[in-house]
Amino acid sequence: MESLGSVNRLSPSLPKTLLVPCNAQIRSLWTSKRALHFTVCCKLKSSQGKRDSAKLISKKIVLSGEVPPPLAEEKSGPAGDAREEAGKSRTVGGAGFVKRFPRRVLALLSNLPLAIGEMATVAALMALGTVIDQGEAPDFYFQKYPEENPILGFFTWRWVLTLGFDHMFSSPIFLGTLALLAASLMACTYTTQIPIVKVARRWSFLSSPEAIRKQEYSDSLPRASVQDLGVVLMGAGYEVFLKGPSLYAFKGLAGRFAPIGVHLAMLLIMVGGTVSAAGSFRGSVTVPQGLNFVVGDVLGPSGFLSTPTESFNTEIHVNRFYMDYYDSGEVSQFHTDLSLFDLSGKEVMRKTISVNDPLRYGGITIYQTDWSFSTLQILKDGEGPFNLPMAPLQINGDKKLFGTFLPTGDDDSPKVKGISMLARDLQSIILYDQDGKFVGVRRPNSNLPIDIGGTKIVIVDAIGSSGLNLKTDPGVPVVYAGFGALMLTTCISYLSHAQIWALQDGTTVVIGGKTNRAKVEFPEEMNRLLDRVPEIVGSADSKNPGGVGG
Amino acid sequence: MIFSTLEHILTHISFSIVSIVITIYLISLSVDEIIGLYDSSEKGMIATFFCITGLLVTRWIYSGHLPLSNLYESLIFLSWSFSIIHMIPYVKKHQNYLSTITAPTTIFTQGFVTSGLLAEMHQSEILVPALQSHWLMMHVSMMILGYAALLCGSLLSVALLVITFRKALRIFSKNNNFLNESFFFEEIQYMTERNNSTSFFSFRNYYKAQLIQQLDHWSYRIISLGFIFLTIGILSGAVWANEAWGSYWNWDPKETWAFITWTIFAIYLHTRTTKNLESVNSAIVASMGFLIIWICYFGVNLLGIGLHSYGSFNLH
Repeated sequence: MESLGSVNRLSPSLPKTLLVPCNAQIRSLWTSKRALHFTVCCKLKSSQGKRDSAKLISKKIVLSGEVPPPLAEEKSGPAGDAREEAGKSRTVGGAGFVKRFPRRVLALLSNLPLAIGEMATVAALMALGTVIDQGEAPDFYFQKYPEENPILGFFTWRWVLTLGFDHMFSSPIFLGTLALLAASLMACTYTTQIPIVKVARRWSFLSSPEAIRKQEYSDSLPRASVQDLGVVLMGAGYEVFLKGPSLYAFKGLAGRFAPIGVHLAMLLIMVGGTVSAAGSFRGSVTVPQGLNFVVGDVLGPSGFLSTPTESFNTEIHVNRFYMDYYDSGEVSQFHTDLSLFDLSGKEVMRKTISVNDPLRYGGITIYQTDWSFSTLQILKDGEGPFNLPMAPLQINGDKKLFGTFLPTGDDDSPKVKGISMLARDLQSIILYDQDGKFVGVRRPNSNLPIDIGGTKIVIVDAIGSSGLNLKTDPGVPVVYAGFGALMLTTCISYLSHAQIWALQDGTTVVIGGKTNRAKVEFPEEMNRLLDRVPEIVGSADSKNPGGVGG
Repeated sequence: MIFSTLEHILTHISFSIVSIVITIYLISLSVDEIIGLYDSSEKGMIATFFCITGLLVTRWIYSGHLPLSNLYESLIFLSWSFSIIHMIPYVKKHQNYLSTITAPTTIFTQGFVTSGLLAEMHQSEILVPALQSHWLMMHVSMMILGYAALLCGSLLSVALLVITFRKALRIFSKNNNFLNESFFFEEIQYMTERNNSTSFFSFRNYYKAQLIQQLDHWSYRIISLGFIFLTIGILSGAVWANEAWGSYWNWDPKETWAFITWTIFAIYLHTRTTKNLESVNSAIVASMGFLIIWICYFGVNLLGIGLHSYGSFNLH
């Protein structure tokens, strides 16, 4: 300290006389802030027990400045902050029990092990939710989890139904844990992360070589100048601050702030999810080609905030439904040509939708999700066309099967005989005769008649119906904003916040530094950078006016 | 036809190169300091990387879409991701322990891909309507890159656990406070100082501590990287789902398990922020994450339930 004082007096770049009055002021600020910092620490320690590692380090910085160093100086901004903080601490100190209670809750919520426990609980509940079949009738659970033979010796249908595990993702337990997690997120951001920002934002010089050597990484360069080091660090992308013999540089400060952004983005997504759950409408409809429906008839509210809008009066006409096929005959895409009409019957929009390409109009989104075979148009012995409704015979997944029946001969006879027609898609119809024997396959529009037991059948057209899903979701913009923020902040979080202090001690430069994430790469990078600092040959004193003394 | 032959050749070349590389690794593990051998194994890995890249490109050309539409293709992509993770430190001339993890993992995935179990899935399939989107590339590639990075990181953590296991047992028996126990470098150093009578022992302990520290650090960095990929993958999947299925989140089993994986690694990253939960405890979390990734990637596909069923096995 003594030698540094003398350095300071000699240094022309630091007019001591000017610094004295502000130093006194700063000193008072320092002390008041120190007091505040201690109260914060104590509070966190007593209530929390465990604290962030970065927090610990930050405390170390402040403690190293416990005796106000002659060179430690604050920018006016942080100094103002400090004054505010000091004021705040006084008001908090004067508050009664009423104010302390929420603070205790806050401290409890921001407890890291609790937050970890909540995350683990959410994960476990989700896992359970995928193991237990969701949304089945109670009978299903009576059979699957019988009381006579409980799984693991205790798990029966009573557990499932009482705790609401049959609809896990909307059960009070799951949503409650999520809400608790959200509360923890907020509390942690408020009590732990924001103070870190406050500490990280003040950049301070370290003025004693001992303090610098105490850093995680430290080195000293003989016959070097701190200015050269500053230039090298600047070249490596560091923000460099130089004041007389002291240097402070940092890089990747955003990496220190980004976790806050991650938490806020998570909260935004949760808010968006809540808005979605409370304020959306959903519905699905299967419409044969050529028919209409009204949006409002299909949509049903999902939450208490769901309010219908103007556009619910829109009438939708399915102009055409068709499928694209691969050469192998498999479906490659479904298309539906939709026209939207408003109340006055004017067409407001027309679009052909397909899977992955929904229609959006006035907050309503229409998705192509399903299809079905509506009717088969045939000519029987040149008469018709007749419309035969197709019935779904098998509808699991993509392997659909539809069928219809055309009675032939005497309608009055008790034993009805006729032609069966089956179809897997709209492309080809398989025909069977009265005895159930395979006759042939016909494509619609081929106009090729087929003779079955004396009846000539021509398949005119196959009319499909389009399975549409409709929804309105006011939460989507919020959720998307959260998604964007989360992606961005998670990426930024990978950055490592590195801080470097250096001090000209005679002809030697003492360098110390630390980082919060890339702890192994940082020393390597430092060694590489320090190798680039030029060695000063000859008289160092003439080159560095600040580096006298020693 | 020429494409399938080429594909066949490339598959087998990559598999055989990886197995040779593994042998070299095992040799260099037991016989120390044969730089030439180590170098050749690195070259072998690069050759593998190009083989798998060629394989993927061939498939891409003849199927006309990105080769990420079924489990077989995603597994090839996974082993490609492993080899790329293996390559990065090599290109940056950065010596670390990652390569000992990535090379065997590549061989296991590659071996599994080429094994007979999935033989019927080798045929490139047509793309179902729901997969015909530009999001396919973004979502699946990000997810698999994320899986690969997270698997590597958690394997490093498993290695860390194995190395500390004996020491851990001793300390656990001494101190019942399981979670608060920490395994610091300083502590080990302190223990070494106490046992200073035998310098060999202390040297070994020092080496071990340094190894543990390195493993810990690299698993942390790789997992952070994988976490970014996983986040982007899940979110792009959510955006895609909002385009194709009608909602950005459907609680589909695959989706849910991806979220569970994400949560587990979020827990891992949080344990890292507290000094006294570091190292071993976070490594335990990461090794749990290892199992969960496999459940997410394979287990859900085995059941073949939910909307992600096109990734499932066809074993009928």
